[in-house]
This record gives sequence, structure tokens and C-alpha cells, in this order.
Amino acid sequence: MTDNELAFLRDDPEMADLFLAEALDHLGTIEAALLALDERPGDVTLLNDIFRPFHTIKGNAGALGVTSVQEVAHRVENLLDLARSGRRTMGPADVDVVLRAVDVLTSMIRDVGARLAGQPGTDLAPVAYALIASVDLLISGEADEPAEKQAAAPEPVHADDAKAPVNETVRPEAASESAGAARRGEEMASIKVDTRKLDSLVDAVGELIIVQSLIQEDPLLATHVDQRLAGNLGQLKRITAGLQRSAMALRMVPIRQAFQKVSRIVRDLSRKADKSVELVLTGEDTELDRKVVEEITDPLMHMVRNSIDHAIESAAVRQAAGKRPQARLALSAYHQGGHIVIEIADDGKGLDTEKIKARALERGLIAPGASPSVEEINALIFEPGFSTAEKVTEISGRGVGMDVVRRNIDALRGRIEITTEPGRGTTFFIRLPLTLAVLDGLIVGVGRERFVMPTTGVRESLRPLPSQVHKVQGAPRLVQVRDSLLPLVALGELFGLPHESDPCKATVVVVEDTGSRVGLVVDALLGKQEVVIKSLGETFASVRGLAGGAILGDGRIGLILDAHGIVELERGVNRAAA
Amino acid sequence: MNAETTVTAATADLAGKYLTFALADEEYGLPVLRVREIIKMMDITEVPQVPSHIKGVLNLRGKVIPVIDLRLKFGFAQGEVTARTCIIVVEVALAASRVMMGIIVDHVSEVLNIVADEIEQTPQFGDRVCTDYMKGVAKVKGTVKILLDLDRVLGTDDAALRAA
Repeated sequence: MTDNELAFLRDDPEMADLFLAEALDHLGTIEAALLALDERPGDVTLLNDIFRPFHTIKGNAGALGVTSVQEVAHRVENLLDLARSGRRTMGPADVDVVLRAVDVLTSMIRDVGARLAGQPGTDLAPVAYALIASVDLLISGEADEPAEKQAAAPEPVHADDAKAPVNETVRPEAASESAGAARRGEEMASIKVDTRKLDSLVDAVGELIIVQSLIQEDPLLATHVDQRLAGNLGQLKRITAGLQRSAMALRMVPIRQAFQKVSRIVRDLSRKADKSVELVLTGEDTELDRKVVEEITDPLMHMVRNSIDHAIESAAVRQAAGKRPQARLALSAYHQGGHIVIEIADDGKGLDTEKIKARALERGLIAPGASPSVEEINALIFEPGFSTAEKVTEISGRGVGMDVVRRNIDALRGRIEITTEPGRGTTFFIRLPLTLAVLDGLIVGVGRERFVMPTTGVRESLRPLPSQVHKVQGAPRLVQVRDSLLPLVALGELFGLPHESDPCKATVVVVEDTGSRVGLVVDALLGKQEVVIKSLGETFASVRGLAGGAILGDGRIGLILDAHGIVELERGVNRAAA
Repeated sequence: MNAETTVTAATADLAGKYLTFALADEEYGLPVLRVREIIKMMDITEVPQVPSHIKGVLNLRGKVIPVIDLRLKFGFAQGEVTARTCIIVVEVALAASRVMMGIIVDHVSEVLNIVADEIEQTPQFGDRVCTDYMKGVAKVKGTVKILLDLDRVLGTDDAALRAA
């Protein structure tokens, strides 16, 4: 990459943004089609789906003077052209090379972006040359007649010359016009919108909802019984609710993008680990908040990596155990009760509960005399620094991972659960909210303040009998809920508010966070409501136990409680020390 | 000579329109361009674990904004809420973003056009007075207005907030 190549893009930042975004989009499409092609070699539609975006990238890069990108795309196109014209079948080796080309082009495009943003770039020329060489090798090795003479010989690599070879630049093609036209046709169905515009629309709709409910609940209206007014207000409510749904839907994208990254990693890793893995994807069209999809991708890849490395046995071991030599990894996404569930199921060896227990004892994660349940033991794999892998492999086993996975999922207000059967496999269930913008909350009152407790963290609520409450050092500190003894936390005491101090006259909400439960003492339960989450901003960044604010039906702000923060506060864990 | 020219440059920078308001019996001013709106006293939701001068948050037409009681911030006694008590909504630059904040003042006085001649640099008081929040003082029609540095008054670099 040279600065010359970027001159044009620098002059026209808007064009540059468009070019970069489109190129990355196309590379994503190509990758998806390639993975499909791996299973159905010779599928002409798929080949075209790969060829066309390559061609577009080449054309755009050429027109904008980014010759090194153009060059790489061109060489790969040569290879694809052979396959498209039936003179070559795309075998696994070809798919590998083209996948590598996607990676190289992605890095190059990112590099262009970085350079345009004024950051120092990376010298990708050697990688690009190496790739071109392997593409050419494939073409010259097997094609009966090289499509283009100059493509047969790998370009000489000049270490001191960062410029891409331009001796045989792409011919200006009429075909690029038609490809462009075809692309424009496809894009009629969707348009690109700046996410900030979307967010401000969602914000505005949120405000509209608040005003609508303010009017609806205005005490003045309660005294006026008027059918026409009531009808109109009902209509207004329906329309605003519909508008809110549509606005929220704008932020929703299919989870496909995350699944695709997983397919790629499964393909790469199963080869590296020499394990044959069949990946079954279902529900790729399930829609989630864009941010959730972005944030869930890394944890998913981590878990799949773990499954292949730890859970799935080698073909020989599988056969010895009477299983199919090819392992099966199923990834599915579906709706369940206002949530999205992502399931990752493998048919590997299952979690070794005994080994986990032994390791946990060794690491001091469980007390020597304790007798935790199987679920509790299995949940230990999410503890920081926990790994039962006997050896650290290239793929995983350093004990970083599952704790990060859980932290990421917690941050999305989701939950993760495991079911496992020795010898039969393990299934992870990730339960995620549909969107990060609204949450289902239990409204609780303490003194004259009201708080919103996200229902995901609430297990149950009860008014304890005096016999269930136990005092420690003069104050009620423990509550017995069936078989478990839970610490009591008086929210009013924690936040310094006037409150009902006798738990038997108040309400105890049992809150769970990552396995630990506490009984939160509040004055009253006031109802359940879907609220729009508002950040409290930097001013309150140091406040613990709160996740934000929400505007309640009467226009006042209710603070949203953060189960994790409260459990931590209760434990007296100092954030600075953690 | 040199020192004198910089003084004039600094005070010239401060010249402009100011919204003046009262706290106890003192008059303060803040640049009118930073003022978004002035609202009457509203219902404020308290936030736990913060210093007492941070009164909490209020709902400004769907936006959640923090509210600071300037009286408490500057060490005055808590004021009584009267019909003239109001909240000035201002824009403040914090470490990572620009946000809106409300400040509670006893009453708003007027918008003044303060010229460079009327402005003096913050005098040196020694240790007795904290001058960090002051940009300068203006003498207008026989009264002194203290010109505030909003970003310092309301910024999160405030040690008191961190300590809490």
C-alpha cells in the first residue's frame, strides 16, 4: 500500500467510507458463499455469488486507484473465472486459498481505513504477494491452459518495493458496469443508514412513548369520562406502541452474521485439530439487536473453539466409543418468551464433573468440605482462571475464555446455562434479551423512591414469616427460603433511604447473579413494566448497584438496579481490588 | 508590559453575554451560549452514594440529566425552595463527552453583555478562597459578578465525586 494509492480516497472521504464499507460487506458475502461452496462444489449460483463481489471490489478499487487491492482481487478472479467457465472444480484447496484471499483483502481494506484515519498502516505487501503466488500456483498447476499468460508466473517479490506490481493492470472492463448495475438492483431492497440516525429515532420514539403514557395517566383525564377521548387515546397508544416496535425492529439484524463467523472458525479449527466436524446451523434468520449480535460473536467463537478443542474427541476415540466418527456441532437460535435463545450443542465427551470438582478444589474455588450440586460444579467452568485442559494447545486451554464469555453475556443482560451428559455431549444455552434499549422490570418501592429491578435477575419474591428470618448481631441478616439460607440486603439501608426495617412487614425479592442469590428487602412491589433504559452518564459512573435510569409512567425517574452490583456491594467486594 | 498585554487578552476572551444568577446574596455569571434552558424546580430522583451537592437526576422531556445544587457545591447552607428557585440547564464538557446538566440556583437575574473593561482576573485570595472554579470577576453597575468556569464546576475531575 502506498500513499499514492490513497490520494483519491483522501480527497473524497465520503466516497472512501462508502468504498470501505461496501468492500467489507462484499467480503462477508463472499465468505458465506465460500463456506457453502465447500459443501456443494460446482454450484454455479454460489460461484457467481463469489465471483460478482470480487469483480465489484476489483472494479471499485481500480476506479479509486487502490491498485494493490485491485491486483489481489484480479488474481483471485482469474481462478474463479476458470471454475465459472467449467474448466476447473473448486476443491478444498481452492476454497482455502480464496478464503485466505478474503482475509488478506479484509486486512488490506482495514489497513486503508486505518491509514485514511491517520494511523500508521501495516505493510501487507508480503502477505499479498504470497497469496498471489499461491493463487497462480493453483492456476498453473492444474489449469490445462492458463487463462492469462502473465498469471502463470508468480510475481517476483521485491522486499524493498512496497508498491504492488502494476505491470499488468486490469483491463477496463465493460463487465464491471453490468456487475455494478446488478448490484444496484439488489440494493433496492435495503438502504444503508447511519446508526446514529437510527439511535436518535429510537430515542425520539422512546420520548413519545413517555409523553403518551403521561397523558394517558394524567389525573385530570381520570376524572373525565368521555368515550370519544378514551377512544382516541386508545388509538394513540396503539399507534405509538406500533411505532416503537417498528423503530426497535430497525435496529434488529439476523444473527446470520455471527453464525457465519462461527462456520469459518469451525472449518479452520477442525482441520487444525484434525477432527472432522459437521456444523448444523438453524435459525440464522432470527433477529436480534445489532449491538447484541456484535457483542455475542466473540463469545460464540470462543465457545465453539472450546467445544472443538476440549469436548469433541478425535475420530479414533469416537469410533472406539461407538460414535459416528464425524462429530456434530449444532448452533441454533430461536425465540422463547420474549428472549432469544442461542444453543450450542456438541456430541462430544461431555463435561467431566469429577475432574472439574478436583480442579476447583485445587484452585480453591470450592471449600474442601462443601458438597455442591452437579449444576454448581459445571457452572465453575465460568470462573476466572479455570481450565481442565491437560495441555495448552494452540486453540485453547489457557483458562481464559469461559469467564470472559460469561462476562460478555452478563453485560448483554443475558444468562448462560449448561446441560451435559457424559459421553453424549454438552449443550450451552445462552438466553439474551431481544434488545438492549428496553428491559422488563419489576418496580419496587423504598421510602418515596421507586426502583426498577430487571426481571432477568429476579427468581421470586415473598413476604417471609418471622420464623424464616434470622438475626445476626442484632439485625435481620438471613432469610430461609425453602432449603437455602440467603443473606438479606435492605435496599433502603444500602442506599441510605428511609425504609421498612422489619423484613416480615416488607417484601423480599430473591435476586440471583452468576450463581449467588441474595434477598433484597424492599417496602413494596409496585408492578411490572417495560422501561426504556437511559444512561445516568459520567457523573454517576462511580455509583455501584445501579444500571441506569428509566422514566416511569408518571414522568419521574426510577433508578434501574444492577443485580451484579448489588450482590457485589453486599459481599463488600471493592471494585478497585477486583 | 508583557504581563499587561496577556491580562488584556485573557479578559478580552471572557467578554460576552452572561446569564447572571443569585446564590445566597452573591451574584454569579455563566456564558449564555452554554445555557440550554431555564426550568422551574422539578421533582428530582435522588441517586445514592454521591456527594450531597449532587441532588440526583431529573426527566427533561425524556432525557435523564444530573442536577447539581450549586449552594451545597460552594459550601452555602441548603437553600429553601421558593417560587424563584430554578434549574439552569447547561451544556458541560466532561472527560469523554458533552452532556446536559441542571444547576439549582436561588434565582436567575438577567442576561448581561459584559465588556472586557469590566472584567478583571480572579484576584489572589491565598488559601482562604478556592478560586479554581472562577474565570474572573466582572464589576457591573456597582456590583460584582463572579464568572464561573462551568467545565470545572461540573466536571467529573472533581475530586469530591471520585472520593465518594
